[in-house]
Amino acid sequence: MKRLCIIFIAGAAVLATSCNKFLDINTNPNSAVSTTPELIIPQALTGTAANLNQFNTYGEQIGGYAANAGGYGGFGTAISYNFSSADYPGLWTTSYDNLEDYQTILNKTDGQLPNYSFVNAAARIMRVIGFELLTDAYNSVPYTDALKADSALTPTYSDPIAVYKDLADQLDKAIATINTGIAAPGIATMGPTDVLFKGDMVKWKQLANTIKLRLIIFGTGKVTFTNTTFTADGFLTTDALINPTYTRDIGRQNPKWDRWGYTSTGSDATKSWIPSTWILSFYNGTKLQDSGRGKAIYYLYTPTYLSTPPTPTTPVLGTGQLGVESVNTPKSPAGSFWYPSTNRVGGSSGNTTGVLKGPDAGYPLITAAESYFLQAEAKMKGILATGATDADLFKAGITASFSYLYAGPTSTAVTTRNPTTDANTYMTDNAASPLVNYSLATTPAQKLEAIITQKYIAMNFVNSEVGWNDYRRTHYPAVSGTSATSTFASTVSESTRPDKLPTRVLYPVVEGSLNSTNVPKSINPFSSLIFWAF
Amino acid sequence: MRKFASLCTALLLCSVLTFAQQKTVSGRITDEKGDPIPFATIMIKGSRAATVADANGSFNLNLKNGTTLLISATGFTTKEVSAEGQKTVSVQLAGSSRLIEEVIVTAGGIKTKRKEIGTANTVIRAEALTAGKSMNVASGLQGKVAGLQISGTSGGINPSYRLILRGQRSLTGNNQALIVLNNVIVPNSVLGNLNPDDVEDVVVMNGAGAVALYGSQASNGALIVTTKKGKRGQTSIVVSNTTTIEQVAFYPKIQTKFGSGGTAYGLDPDGKPIFNYLENQSYGPAFDGVKRPLGPALEDGSQDSAFYSFNPGHNQFWKKGINNQTNFSLTSGDDNSTFYLSGQYATVTGTTPGDKYNRATLSANGTRKIGNKVMVSYNTDYTQNRYDITTQTASMYGNMLNMPSNVDITKYKNWRTDKFANPIGYYNPWYLNPYFSADNYRSIQRNDYLIANVEVKWNPINGLDFTARQGMTTRNYSQKNTVGQFKYTDFAKTTDQSSKADISASVYDASNYATNLLTDLFGQYNKKVGDFDFKLIAGGQWRQDQAKYLNITANGLVVPDLYNASNGVGSPTVSETNYKARQIGAYADLRIGYKGYLFLHGTGRNDWVSILDADNRSFFYPSVDLSFIASEAIGALKSSKTVSYLKLRGGWSKVGQVNLGNSDNFGAYYTQPIFSANAYGFPYGPLPGYSVGNGLVQSGLKPEITKGYEFGFDLNLFKDRFASSITWFSTKTDNQTVPTAISPTTGFTSLLTNAGQTGSRGLEVTAHYTPIRTKDWSVTIGGNYTYLDNTVNFIRSDLTKLPLSSSGSGASYAVAGQAFPVIEGFDYKRDKEGHVIVNSINGLPTKSDTISILGNAVPKHKLGLDGTVQYKNFRFSFLFDYRGGYKTFNGMGPELDWSGTGYRTAVYNRQSFVFPNSVIEDASKPGTYVKNTSVAIANGNGNNGFWTEDYNRGVTSNYVTNGAFWKLREIAIAYDLPAALLAKTKAIKGVTISVQGRNLFIWLPKDNIYTDPEYSDPGADNNGIGLTGLGQTPPSRYYGGTITVRF
Repeated sequence: MKRLCIIFIAGAAVLATSCNKFLDINTNPNSAVSTTPELIIPQALTGTAANLNQFNTYGEQIGGYAANAGGYGGFGTAISYNFSSADYPGLWTTSYDNLEDYQTILNKTDGQLPNYSFVNAAARIMRVIGFELLTDAYNSVPYTDALKADSALTPTYSDPIAVYKDLADQLDKAIATINTGIAAPGIATMGPTDVLFKGDMVKWKQLANTIKLRLIIFGTGKVTFTNTTFTADGFLTTDALINPTYTRDIGRQNPKWDRWGYTSTGSDATKSWIPSTWILSFYNGTKLQDSGRGKAIYYLYTPTYLSTPPTPTTPVLGTGQLGVESVNTPKSPAGSFWYPSTNRVGGSSGNTTGVLKGPDAGYPLITAAESYFLQAEAKMKGILATGATDADLFKAGITASFSYLYAGPTSTAVTTRNPTTDANTYMTDNAASPLVNYSLATTPAQKLEAIITQKYIAMNFVNSEVGWNDYRRTHYPAVSGTSATSTFASTVSESTRPDKLPTRVLYPVVEGSLNSTNVPKSINPFSSLIFWAF
Repeated sequence: MRKFASLCTALLLCSVLTFAQQKTVSGRITDEKGDPIPFATIMIKGSRAATVADANGSFNLNLKNGTTLLISATGFTTKEVSAEGQKTVSVQLAGSSRLIEEVIVTAGGIKTKRKEIGTANTVIRAEALTAGKSMNVASGLQGKVAGLQISGTSGGINPSYRLILRGQRSLTGNNQALIVLNNVIVPNSVLGNLNPDDVEDVVVMNGAGAVALYGSQASNGALIVTTKKGKRGQTSIVVSNTTTIEQVAFYPKIQTKFGSGGTAYGLDPDGKPIFNYLENQSYGPAFDGVKRPLGPALEDGSQDSAFYSFNPGHNQFWKKGINNQTNFSLTSGDDNSTFYLSGQYATVTGTTPGDKYNRATLSANGTRKIGNKVMVSYNTDYTQNRYDITTQTASMYGNMLNMPSNVDITKYKNWRTDKFANPIGYYNPWYLNPYFSADNYRSIQRNDYLIANVEVKWNPINGLDFTARQGMTTRNYSQKNTVGQFKYTDFAKTTDQSSKADISASVYDASNYATNLLTDLFGQYNKKVGDFDFKLIAGGQWRQDQAKYLNITANGLVVPDLYNASNGVGSPTVSETNYKARQIGAYADLRIGYKGYLFLHGTGRNDWVSILDADNRSFFYPSVDLSFIASEAIGALKSSKTVSYLKLRGGWSKVGQVNLGNSDNFGAYYTQPIFSANAYGFPYGPLPGYSVGNGLVQSGLKPEITKGYEFGFDLNLFKDRFASSITWFSTKTDNQTVPTAISPTTGFTSLLTNAGQTGSRGLEVTAHYTPIRTKDWSVTIGGNYTYLDNTVNFIRSDLTKLPLSSSGSGASYAVAGQAFPVIEGFDYKRDKEGHVIVNSINGLPTKSDTISILGNAVPKHKLGLDGTVQYKNFRFSFLFDYRGGYKTFNGMGPELDWSGTGYRTAVYNRQSFVFPNSVIEDASKPGTYVKNTSVAIANGNGNNGFWTEDYNRGVTSNYVTNGAFWKLREIAIAYDLPAALLAKTKAIKGVTISVQGRNLFIWLPKDNIYTDPEYSDPGADNNGIGLTGLGQTPPSRYYGGTITVRF
């Protein structure tokens, strides 16, 4: 009996002492539990490209660049515009998910300046872009209270005017941080982890200035900005392309190519949308003649005015009017009409011009064309006092658009045509139109119409959301009536507005269910306006 | 039930009777009050000779091999009587302690008398479990136990079951009852991989208190499954075969009047929608019997067609399944050892075309005495199952519903040879041929389970014993999902409205394992001091769960039919995860008995778990219960002729549970947020990139604690002819570990936090009555009833509700102050009285802006009614099951209305209609509403008309129906061939022939035209019940026959 007791007590003792060693096994063998800013920044930038791709889809569908294709049905609110909280929820969730990555970099590096100046400033600039995208889509969004993890579980919504003001301040701060970093000795560049500018901090400053210019143009008259001057670094003169070395592989393709061209295995990508008849009217001579960019962008594009028209081919480029669901609505070919090449074998296609270019193309964060058009507008409105004239900037914008669209996915030239020559040809061919010939635009309204219309054309499937934002801000390009070339509004629009277009998308379901006390109520897709819209 | 059990034993024993001409003894067996005990078993000790007393307790027995009689009857203490030199004996069986002397296995494998247990429990014996011949132990238990809700959450060839005792406690963690097989904790999936014929009994311990010794997982109650052992002195072989037919028992109700087309194609001169030969939506003109084309002409000029009249093809799509089980078992035993061997092979084809399943199980159980002081026992079960099923059940079902009802679906079966069934020539340009989807997307799965335990019990001195037990469950499984390549012709891709697109081949291959180890070491000490009886148990438990999951996906297979991960283009997608969790428990259990009628029982256990931070990983929880046998303690009751047994009982318990993770990952590594290395395609060549994970974790997570009490009584009347048990219980679970969804604007989408409290209160009643009990006849009827009030009391001040699951526009939520869970979704905008507000010009209703509560998803009432009738060699049994007091969202509803086959869509004959029970704003008094009798919805069609629009299909409440049902769960008739007939064969001792049916009929409320509300779209492990979807095939009935031969 005594012996048994001893055994039992000994057993209990072993049990207690070996406890900690036995239990200390909760080390995660599957995922990292810590990381560094250098490891987050390339992923975050690539995430921004993926997010912009969603915004491009949204802009191209609402903003008139695309129409529903034949062979598909159930377009629902995409053609009625009577949006519900279930429409475009990814714009919201992906934006905040991406913003959290930038916020984490800021949280990790704010106390470690100047050593982390460059990555800190880059994250700050990208955070501004993310919130600008959100504000332009949703107006009031969580900003001051956002990205605070469990210290603010139901973030309040900030006044978009205050947000705009702070975003501009953040850009000033980012530029100052970069300058501090440059001044401090021995600060390493971001190098290849910077998948946007490869560590070129001057371009980062130009990006900051360009975005600030965009904020000021949109906010003028509504927002009282702290500082409306720009540093001597100037504005972007080259396309800002995000490219982590996209390649033809699953999950690693340029996101726009992946959605509209071919999947990495060569299967057809999205075929439920085709170019709109409306947007083609800016290329095929209906409104403007633009054989250069038309050919660069579209499959089977047959220009109507070339001196040596190509042999007519069947089928031809199919276009549609949003909302028309009939047996005659053209169907999308595999690879879509936005892939201009005739090599349409999914597994080897790519390496072409236009908006898709190829699986390895960089994704445009902002193009030089947009930068020039922003400057042109700012100059025209007096926001920028010095520098080139608005007419020169306008022309530079058109040329930059040709340059972007004529470029292949990589630096290798894929076309023998010269963008500058063709841009000049374009300006000659449309010399009678004030939308091209800036000197014919005499009033500020006409000038604005020219600038915004050209920008709208340049943003076609490049950054379609920009075209949509500009339309809502300026109501250019002008629409009227109901015909396929006079308006891009859906034929089955339920909008109550004169232009039959919506004004915005609704807050996603997730906010209604998880942040219901703060989410603004009674938002109407036909009457609720973004603060800069009318 | 009890008498039925003894009768069964008696019938079994009849077959082993031996006959001799030696001297005989006769006698009579009575209870303490002198009343006869019918059908008691009388055995001669040390031999196989035995007999059974008749209904009056009288017997005759040849004294061939000895003179000591062993007399036993279910519920009575076995008594030894010497018949040496006697012609008659009169035997009185053990006092008044009858039913409750029964010994059952409780926590830790400790055998306890039922009368000593102060908490509710139910014992289901083998014959009740297997009456319906289900292949799954869980389904054999359905409707039989008060307080236990077993829901078949899916259809298919091997349905999943969700087992919940006394409602849900954990908001998002595991709520399923703990499964204990031969004293070892096993994963729930084992229930579906165990041969039900091997089960001796299942003890259901409804509350946490009874099983607190099992540790934290016991907070959900437990099912203690014990498999058969060999019996001393009996060798028998049983061979049986069961063939069961499976057939759909309930089809969704569809409209039978209209075919393809819709108002989007325009209107004919009569204002009727126009027919379209390829439209999937059935919003065309009414059927007229004319032969019409289907789809465009093929490349060869031929064109498919169908008569434009109703064809019941939608129902004929589902096949008759066949389930064949063959069982073998052998038992034997002598004084020192016993063993039991068994095997089962089952093949199943389901109602889904092409789905196949088979299962083989082998078991070997045994015991061996070594000397007088050591007892060794072992149990081993090996099961392998194989699936060959489609991965596209939901889309196949959806594709099928999108075929107009004039189309004979079954003629598209041979898609490989029939040009109109082949995807190239298939008439519908947008939806795949459902037979093709079923065939082209396959999953082959194999699961091998080995469940084993060995136990050594050492009994060094009287009253003291030590037990050491090692259990092991290992599951080794692999899976290969394949997608076949399909290339369309250019003609097929471009003709008419085609959106047909090539399908590239891909393969997903996974190979995983999970191993659970459980070590128990404990001592038991029994001591009697005067009127007091002490039983002390103390011990420790070590547990380790380990698993690895490895899978690889390759796309764009180069050689189309070579389904190998190395055959893809581009990088394959690879995922590897490993999990390991450990737990140590130290416990003590003390039971004090007083004079055999008062029992006080207390337990205490401390757990240490690896998955929490070191500061929080130790937690202690106690339980106490009391049992008072009034019918023995109180003189008036003891001598009562009416009351034969009355036990009062009550208990209180506290159990901690660490509700992290799930049964696949054991909650390992949840306490730290993670960073993902693979977001957005990373790494790109040499460039790595990490993404901040979306989950937040509150620091210092604690276990959740369930505290509860229960009290009740067991009352038997009229010599146990009436037996009943009533229990009231109430539990509260605090400190919930909740991965709450949070607004993405926080930068994260979920926060793992301790918050909230749930409550569960209810009543469990079981009652059975045996009005007839004669030698030839025995009739028992009764049932069980459960009332459950399961609530979410609060979550946290800033989070008042938690999404648990969703199916389409319906979602299951935990909402503070509401039932747990509730269905939420969109409703119509309504006035204060609940009338739908419609537009005063076009008559259209408006969908609500936000989601709201549409109903409670947890059945408040559950009723099982059962009966057995025995007449001579015939046995008849039945079981009805009812659930009510809740709602269910039917996810197939919006798809039915989309396709236009939905019954709802034709209730107004596709005409303009006034929205029922609607109101319009009073133009003279804005903000007030008047009844709408005239403003009609102009377009009462679909395909651009009311029925396909968001204000019909997007309104969740349109598809929320009453969740009640009645089911005829089981019905069985068995016949034992007369012994006289078999005697001639010498070898065969018994033959039983039975026919049985399960789930033969389901009765649903009028508004549920969809499917079985027992289904749960998010699966058996998800607490978000109340939602069904297209992933669940229509519910089945099963019926078949069994022949069992005993040697």
